[in-house]
Amino acid sequence: MSSEYSITYKAENHYENWVHDAHWQFLIIPEQNNTQEFVSVDFKNSLGAINEYSINGYGFRTIRIQPRKKFKEISFEANFRLLKKEVNPFDFELGEEIVKSYQKIQELDFKVDFEPFLRKTHYTTLPEKDSTIFQFDTEKSIFENLKALNHWTFIHIYFKTGVTDVHTTLHEIIDNRHGVCQDFSHLFCALARQNGIPARYVSGYLHQGNGYFGDSQMHAWAEAYVPNIGWVGFDPTNDLLANTDHIKVAHGKDYADCSPLRGVVYSKGKNTTSHAVQVLQQQQ
Amino acid sequence: MGKIENRIFSSYERNPILYDEIYDKNGDIKNVYQKLFDLYGGHSIRDYVKLNTKAKSSFFNQGITFQVYDEKESQEKIFPFDLFPRIIDQDEWDVIERGAIQRSKALNLFLWDVYHDKKIIKDGVVPMELISSSANYLDQMIGIDPPGGIYNHISGTDVIKHNDGKYYVLEDNIRCPSGVSYVICNRTALKRALFGVFNHYRTYSVTNYAENLLDLLETTKPKGVDTPNCVVITPGMYNSAFYEHSYLAKTMGVELVEGRDLFVENDFVYMKTIGGPLKVDIIYRRIDDAFIDPLEFRPDSALGVPGLFAAYKKGNVTLANAPGTGVADDKAVYTYMPQIIKYYLDEEPILNNVHTYHCSRPDELKYVLEHIPELVIKPVDEAGGYGISIGNRLTKEEIETIKKQVKENPRKYVAQPIMSLSVHPTYIDDSESFEQRHVDLRTFTVLGKDKEFVLKGGLTRVALKKGNLIVNSSQGGGSKDTWVLKE
Repeated sequence: MSSEYSITYKAENHYENWVHDAHWQFLIIPEQNNTQEFVSVDFKNSLGAINEYSINGYGFRTIRIQPRKKFKEISFEANFRLLKKEVNPFDFELGEEIVKSYQKIQELDFKVDFEPFLRKTHYTTLPEKDSTIFQFDTEKSIFENLKALNHWTFIHIYFKTGVTDVHTTLHEIIDNRHGVCQDFSHLFCALARQNGIPARYVSGYLHQGNGYFGDSQMHAWAEAYVPNIGWVGFDPTNDLLANTDHIKVAHGKDYADCSPLRGVVYSKGKNTTSHAVQVLQQQQ
Repeated sequence: MGKIENRIFSSYERNPILYDEIYDKNGDIKNVYQKLFDLYGGHSIRDYVKLNTKAKSSFFNQGITFQVYDEKESQEKIFPFDLFPRIIDQDEWDVIERGAIQRSKALNLFLWDVYHDKKIIKDGVVPMELISSSANYLDQMIGIDPPGGIYNHISGTDVIKHNDGKYYVLEDNIRCPSGVSYVICNRTALKRALFGVFNHYRTYSVTNYAENLLDLLETTKPKGVDTPNCVVITPGMYNSAFYEHSYLAKTMGVELVEGRDLFVENDFVYMKTIGGPLKVDIIYRRIDDAFIDPLEFRPDSALGVPGLFAAYKKGNVTLANAPGTGVADDKAVYTYMPQIIKYYLDEEPILNNVHTYHCSRPDELKYVLEHIPELVIKPVDEAGGYGISIGNRLTKEEIETIKKQVKENPRKYVAQPIMSLSVHPTYIDDSESFEQRHVDLRTFTVLGKDKEFVLKGGLTRVALKKGNLIVNSSQGGGSKDTWVLKE
């Protein structure tokens, strides 16, 4: 069974002075993968500038825009319709023995293959004093430990908007214990990596019909690599495994690889920006 | 003609401990230099000074200058130059040339590997930290096949001659090695001042660099392009090497552009011209990775071209050198060069490596901390001679400071024994005479698809301060014309 989702992404930028040259790159198109299939992609901007569909450095689809005339305000609206296959996050067999999977993650080949997702990045570096705040119990499977980490992160951090921003590092998050989906995901990734498990930051959309946290912006969660199973999605903000309601756009080492909008705007003076996201679902 | 009669060298003091490029072990002038020695000796020092001054002012008048960073007011300087050339005979050159090609090829294979299968790491030949903790490893390059299979189109290999008479490589510069324009300008200046001396030697030309560079860059054109359009991109006229950028563009016969002269549309790169947009296929870029595309890398870069990396990733444009090449430019990678050459080429290194101690390894760190006065301490990620400490020149306090720095961040430092660079007679303004000065040699190697070229000559850099071992122009170095002799 599959569900059809309709996603609307809106952004509006206002500038105090005329802008003569600007470039934007949007990383907001849902990824095509074995659970996500497109029906339609539509993107408009208020200046009628051409939308160039391209890819970013990691191969994810982008939309690039460069208005050819001066402006003081511009708005963007994207509409995506896609079919999402019903996802049962528990649809796999753990199979292999626990001991073997812990041996696997110690192998050099494994560490080399997953090196970027085991790295300590700007957003996923734990303060020295906190490097052992969550340690895996090697009596239990890696998957069980990751579920426990997901739950631990959910309990440890209080969801609160407005106290952190895109520059917040783990140091503050651990000490102050609140943040938004980005912060939950960075902490989850950092602790998974600390325990030798490759983890990647995922940006995307969350269908909120079920009362989940994730506000009306884009959402973030994480994927961890479980030997013999593959990448499994964890949403520590909601203490869930990623499921049908999680619509993935991109993944990376951390937020910096996935920021939905990158722009170069040559302008002086103040500017204001607003974003809004809406996800609707129709059962088929 | 003996030494005494030679007017110009009559006061030349030769320190027998140092390896002098023009004297042999017995204190006699080497054969290859004899003719030159006699020719120059026929002049008085006054004549020489006149010619030298004239040559220098011609550099300034032509705008062949560079700028030094980190000074209060940046000012244009000429690269100090003297008219007494360095000569390398065919046999010695052959070793350097084969060695430089071998290293460049090995580094190209290394780069391919670290951005694809990473076999060399999985086989345990080099540690994973070479990529995981390198600031120059670009994840965006993983899996990309650069056009023509070339990453380091242009390599600047710095070699020195130690007092054992053997050549050693000091470093491989494969980001944006500069200096080649000085090689050509030094030759031109020398020809202008002392044309006659060239009649007595069969010297290889150096003025063919630009045509060879263009030729080889064109072999790495993107797929589906017939006659590629090549440009040189510069950060602009305030860059320390702007003269070189404009010189290369001019002699290659291609456009010199800045970021704002280019744009990307549907993942192809175009140049704005008065006749409309013109597609660009090959970009010889003299802009660092971080600045080439503000939508992919540093967003505050006004030097780059938005969308350029997407065009590159789609294979629609060649960037020379490829982004991410800097990972192999790291001084920590240098220390593994003998193993890297062996691993990919199954050959013994032709040029020697200077033994290197990795401060990241506890036992080697211990040795380094105990032997600082005998070592050169280098940060692994600085270019241009910045941050280098030479152990026997440090005061006690300075040694303690270095120890502290190394202990705090061992991964950042490597140490090498102090090499005794060979010396070459160099005209010194202050004493108005020739004195021994340490020299090195920057060679320029160009890799194309199944083709390579080494400039037969190179930049002999001279440490003008007496006893100084650092030859970079930003550290007060000068240069000399360098002759490679035909048989």
